[in-house]
Amino acid sequence: MKKFVVMFALVTIAIVVKAQTETIEIKTSAICSMCKSTIERALAYEKGVEKSNLDVKTKVVTVQYDANKTNPDKIRQCIAKAGYNADDVKREEKAYSKLADCCKDGGH
Amino acid sequence: MHLNIYFILIFLVISMGGYSQHKISGRVTSTSGEVLVGATVQVADTTNGTTTDVNGGFELPGVSHGVSVVFSFVGYLNDTIEVSEQEKLEIVLAEASEQLQTVTVRAGTSSIDELQPILNELITEKELVRAACCNLSESFETNASVDVSMTDAVSGAKMIRMLGLDGRYVLISREGIPHIRGLNSRYGLTYVPGTWIQSIDVGKGAGSVLNGYESMSGQINMEFKKPEESETWYFNAYLNSFGRMEANVNNATKLSDKWSTGILLHANYLSTEIDENEDGFMDLPKSRQFNILNRYKYHSERIVSQIGIQYMIDENAGGQRGFDFGSDLLASPVYGFKNNARRFEIFGKTGLLYPEKPYKGWGFQYSMSYQEFEGGAGRRSYGADEKTGYFNGIFQNIIGDTRHQYKTGMSYLIDGFDETYYSELTGDLDTTLTRTESVPGIFYEYNFIPNEDFTLVAGYRLDFHNLYGLYNTPRLHVRWAMNNHMTIRVSAGKGYRTANILMENSQFFASNRRIILTESPKPEISWNFGSSITSHLHLFDKPLTLVLDYFYTDFLNQLIYDQDQGSDKLIIYNLQGSSFAHSLQVEAQYELLKHLKMKAAYKYYDVQQTTNSALRPLTFTPRDRYFLNLGYATDFEKWQIDFTWSLNGPNRLPAMSMDPGNLQTNNTSPWYSMVSGQISKGFRWGNIYIGGENLLNFRQPNPIISPDDPFGDSFDASMVWGPIVGRMIYTGIRYKIK
Repeated sequence: MKKFVVMFALVTIAIVVKAQTETIEIKTSAICSMCKSTIERALAYEKGVEKSNLDVKTKVVTVQYDANKTNPDKIRQCIAKAGYNADDVKREEKAYSKLADCCKDGGH
Repeated sequence: MHLNIYFILIFLVISMGGYSQHKISGRVTSTSGEVLVGATVQVADTTNGTTTDVNGGFELPGVSHGVSVVFSFVGYLNDTIEVSEQEKLEIVLAEASEQLQTVTVRAGTSSIDELQPILNELITEKELVRAACCNLSESFETNASVDVSMTDAVSGAKMIRMLGLDGRYVLISREGIPHIRGLNSRYGLTYVPGTWIQSIDVGKGAGSVLNGYESMSGQINMEFKKPEESETWYFNAYLNSFGRMEANVNNATKLSDKWSTGILLHANYLSTEIDENEDGFMDLPKSRQFNILNRYKYHSERIVSQIGIQYMIDENAGGQRGFDFGSDLLASPVYGFKNNARRFEIFGKTGLLYPEKPYKGWGFQYSMSYQEFEGGAGRRSYGADEKTGYFNGIFQNIIGDTRHQYKTGMSYLIDGFDETYYSELTGDLDTTLTRTESVPGIFYEYNFIPNEDFTLVAGYRLDFHNLYGLYNTPRLHVRWAMNNHMTIRVSAGKGYRTANILMENSQFFASNRRIILTESPKPEISWNFGSSITSHLHLFDKPLTLVLDYFYTDFLNQLIYDQDQGSDKLIIYNLQGSSFAHSLQVEAQYELLKHLKMKAAYKYYDVQQTTNSALRPLTFTPRDRYFLNLGYATDFEKWQIDFTWSLNGPNRLPAMSMDPGNLQTNNTSPWYSMVSGQISKGFRWGNIYIGGENLLNFRQPNPIISPDDPFGDSFDASMVWGPIVGRMIYTGIRYKIK
């Protein structure tokens, strides 16, 4: 039993140590605070993403993620799926068309 | 009581002492770049709010990480943002369709001049999902201002209370149109499915004159899911441990640039016979309901319009085990309870807008409904129908500049009632009641907003009632923000309503008390006065909101349902003497830890009424109530855990002796606790939840008097002060397709 506990603890530590948090900045096509919510929400439910914060003024979203679980491409795809351009990844038009008017081009 | 005085003293001391400046600030502009002056900024689910200054700027203290802040302005779409850090916010509101709602009457949210002066709490969908079950009567579980209790031991009906008074004194409207009133004031809450509701506004005290003369103790306005902004599909399925099943489907479709349509569908079913206390009576009736609403919305730059229909059919069969939906009430060998209702309504509104002048507009709203009830209990049957027509037209504009605004208009209500009450009990009422009310009215409301710290709303309405003569209804609301963490509000107003003596007392059908009507009912009239202090402070660097409010309702006339002249009768007459309600509430909202929010409240009610020539505490109304809600939510509601505890003080019970000379007037119920909780896990597509109500499994012992002899004289299932059903566990799923 004791052995098991020790092993369990070691495995847990190994997992914790292994989690490699990295940070990436992605330029998006967000325009307003509603866009900010939409993107941050989409990222919150994306596997491996730990934290994100979008600055509406610069349109740059700063994402902290676990490099073992996801990668920058996947994160950009996630933003595109929410209806926004992410660096050079184009937004999905279907998602874009469903955004509120104030979040669309010329909405500002 | 000493404890309570300390409570208030501490509250006042803290109120005066806090000067912490945790706040958000920024600017609100329109999509065309104009600054919006007087836009409302409010933290969702709280009374914490402000308005923008002449430069569109705002500062709002007492805002913590993770809360939702709602920005709104007459003529613009609301914007809700989640505060992720304390930062400068640039808010851009889109001009849009929602103008209609602010032009037409609402008890609140997006219209500044109504929101600000009335002490009001906005319950958003985010808050509503914290208690999953099932209809409007259960939507207040996490709210301290509204109490919910059972009316009797057989109908399963829940009633709400505000300021210590029955929910029938609250004007409950759907998107500004009076909705739960007349014959459905007892059961109407269960006819509004929870998943249809987008938000609820709870306003305490007298309401605006625009909404009519009926809001005597408060007003509750619900907004349903909007066809133009809701998700395309929303599915919800629910199941609980009693075997109750629910299914909800909402659809919203954009038909073109200007047209959209929405369908709301609901069905529920419970066929299990639950009798946990083994008295032979079902604790909850079997029930089934089908409910559908469909509406079409049109919006262009100048016209916003909608028209909708709703149809509902609801059936309940309760009483002794074995009584079923199809059973014949009067011929049944077992004691039965039945309440079948059908309701049909056509409703709509139209707003005419001036895009260049967002403060100006016309609003028209109307509703036509037909509803019928058929049922009764034991050897008493009741059947009724009500036909209602309602129209309200409002014009709003400014005098000179936006510091002086007014709203004026006219309304018309036609309301026809036809009720038949038949009883086989000797000495019981046996009657037909018919009346048609025809009430044209005019109103005017002036708003004085000299600066962002002060609002005065003075309204007056005159209604010409065909049966009861002239109703004159003055209302006054004043709001003063003393500094940026403390706001004082006062209100005063008169209110009227017509009592429906049978339907409102349908809980007494489930007894063998003889109903005795000694005179013809007059309209109920009351004055309500209130004042409140709202403070936004900081305690250990975390925002703390304190609300202290006091309301006083004084009845000039009230229908008295006297249970004090012997346990064998219920005597109905107009008030002779005084009847009043003092209500005091202290509420604190605080973020205990990151993501963990607490809401705690204490309520003190002193409600007294003259019955049988003596002033006595109102029956079935606790004097003391404590409320505690803990809510834990991770970012974007990935996990949400809720816990609510309420402690209810003793109620006065009616005299339980048949002999008028030997009345036991000191009968009181004991203290009891109710605990509920819920856990939900969010996904990209929606969430899954599991929860429980009445987790301590507390039930009123022997809620029914003489359950073994239901047709005998002493049988009484209306003496209910506590829960009838025990612990209930439920689970459900919500699935959304954008």
